[in-house]
Amino acid sequence: MTEAAGRFGRLLLAPIGLLYLIALLAPISFFLVMSVFRYSALDLWVPTVTGENFRRLLGEPYHRAIIVRTLKIALFTTVGCLALGYPLAWYLARTRSAWRGVLLFLVIAPLMTGVIVRTYGWIVLLGSEGTVNSLLRGLGLIDRPLKILHTELAVLIALVHILLPYMVFPLFSALAGQDPDLERAAHTLGASRARTFLEVTLPLSQPGIFMGSALVFTLTAGAVVTPALMGGKDVRMLGQTIYELTMSTLNWPLASAVAFVLVLCQLGILLLYFGSGRRAA
Amino acid sequence: MLKRYGATLGVGPVDVEVREGEFLTLLGPSGCGKTTTLHVVAGLLFPDEGQVLLGGRDITRLDPQHRDMGVVFQNYALFPHKTVFENVAFGLRMRKIPRDDIARRVAQMLELVGLPGVESRLPGQLSGGQRQRVAVARALVIEPSILLLDEPLSNLDAVLRKRMRLDLRDLQQRLGIAAIFVTHDQDEAFEMSDRVVLLNRGRIEQSGTPEELYDDPATRFAAEFIGETNLIEGIVAAAGGAMVTVDTPDGGRYDAFAPDGRLRSGDAVYVMIRPERLDLAAERPAGIVALPAAVTKRIFAGDIITFEVRTDRGLLLRSSKPSIAEYRALTPGSRVWAVVRDCRALPRDGSGGA
Repeated sequence: MTEAAGRFGRLLLAPIGLLYLIALLAPISFFLVMSVFRYSALDLWVPTVTGENFRRLLGEPYHRAIIVRTLKIALFTTVGCLALGYPLAWYLARTRSAWRGVLLFLVIAPLMTGVIVRTYGWIVLLGSEGTVNSLLRGLGLIDRPLKILHTELAVLIALVHILLPYMVFPLFSALAGQDPDLERAAHTLGASRARTFLEVTLPLSQPGIFMGSALVFTLTAGAVVTPALMGGKDVRMLGQTIYELTMSTLNWPLASAVAFVLVLCQLGILLLYFGSGRRAA
Repeated sequence: MLKRYGATLGVGPVDVEVREGEFLTLLGPSGCGKTTTLHVVAGLLFPDEGQVLLGGRDITRLDPQHRDMGVVFQNYALFPHKTVFENVAFGLRMRKIPRDDIARRVAQMLELVGLPGVESRLPGQLSGGQRQRVAVARALVIEPSILLLDEPLSNLDAVLRKRMRLDLRDLQQRLGIAAIFVTHDQDEAFEMSDRVVLLNRGRIEQSGTPEELYDDPATRFAAEFIGETNLIEGIVAAAGGAMVTVDTPDGGRYDAFAPDGRLRSGDAVYVMIRPERLDLAAERPAGIVALPAAVTKRIFAGDIITFEVRTDRGLLLRSSKPSIAEYRALTPGSRVWAVVRDCRALPRDGSGGA
């Protein structure tokens, strides 16, 4: 790149840089500082440095359980999206069908309706008087409604559904970008379909797997609305906890500490992603 | 060894037979079905009808992993995440060859293709020519019954391409392995092949040795796709044996070879004159047909000079001559005698055209 083009490029990056500075760095620094302040019921916070917020967060079983649950649900959601999304992405990348465009659109379509709408859809399906329970009872398979809503499973199901597109697209572009002759070459060299997949297709789609997983994991870990609606009071995750501490309990220092832990988890995953991405390339 | 199939995948029927140790080329313009044909042979596509026979055994529906064919793809299709060693060893590993044997055979094969010492590199760290050699090594190390090459030279620069042609042909001869080579490049096809099958629009236009295709093209397409050529429309005035007399509308009369002896008086034909067999003489030669003409264009290519001449009766002809003093002196405007050394008569009906 010439020097002029470089300068011009930097100029074009200025607006987005400014946005990041205001919308990302400022709040992060705000809660970094706030997380070591002392909580006060009267003044919200007093600017004296304390480790108390982190001690409560990591010491109290209630808060520890929330951290562990959040990481667990984020992990399971990621695995679930990967398990469901990979075959779909593979099919979309390999099909010569004229319907490919339509199918790709159907994968994105859920992103165009709001998260809340889709979550309410799942409440209708999974509630104690919901479609699933009515169906199972109608078939005589159960006597009393199953408790699905307000369990971790309900949160998991809804999150997998909502976040699936974020997994499918990186996988799709990784798989669609592969030279179809690579799989052909493996076949002609004596590899079965399964071996070809394990030796060629899967390792070469690794960047897509990492990208999709990092996206889904960080989005799940920070999710607020879906866990709140699907899990209720019983399945609390970090996102809701921050929301409640900020908006109703008004314990901003503790809320900041929770946010700090959450961002740390997400950052850890992203670093893992970029680290392995660089090794793969 | 025998392979024969007629396929309808927008292609065919195509009947191709490769003999043991033979280098066969499928030559044709893009979209003529040559790669499809190769994929059918390799088992990467199953034909709607017809058969693929290997040494008399019907393998039409056999999956590619059971065919034991070495395939070199146009972009080489080297596994980018595997080292050169792992790439070449892949086929041997799939065959559950013991580890020590694999190491030995991979090393031998890389030696054979002239690439020792690159085992631990990734394909992305190799030059185009090196990648091509690795692809050939990977296809050959499994000791395939036949080597299939899909335009393996088209991504190399001109100098390298010429050298790789000879190297590839050498290797094939030394190993005595049958090969099917796909290309759209006539020079490649001629330099490398024992036999060439010329394909056009999914059908075989003509097949034969390079000499046969060059000297006796069966159709106008064959004549024009292979080499440069002058075609003059005419009508057979007299036929007899391997020679016919052809009259052309400009008042010319040519004695042309017609080796298949099928032409009859009154048939519509082309008189085909290869440019190197059209002489340009300063003096009118005795006892041979010569047309008075003027040079209109001179294309200098170093070893060869191609002239475009217009005869006084209005024919535009091309003549290519060695780059020697006699011809270097000719420039646009020079008066010459165009002397037809040898010409062929080519039937005009059902010639497909180009």
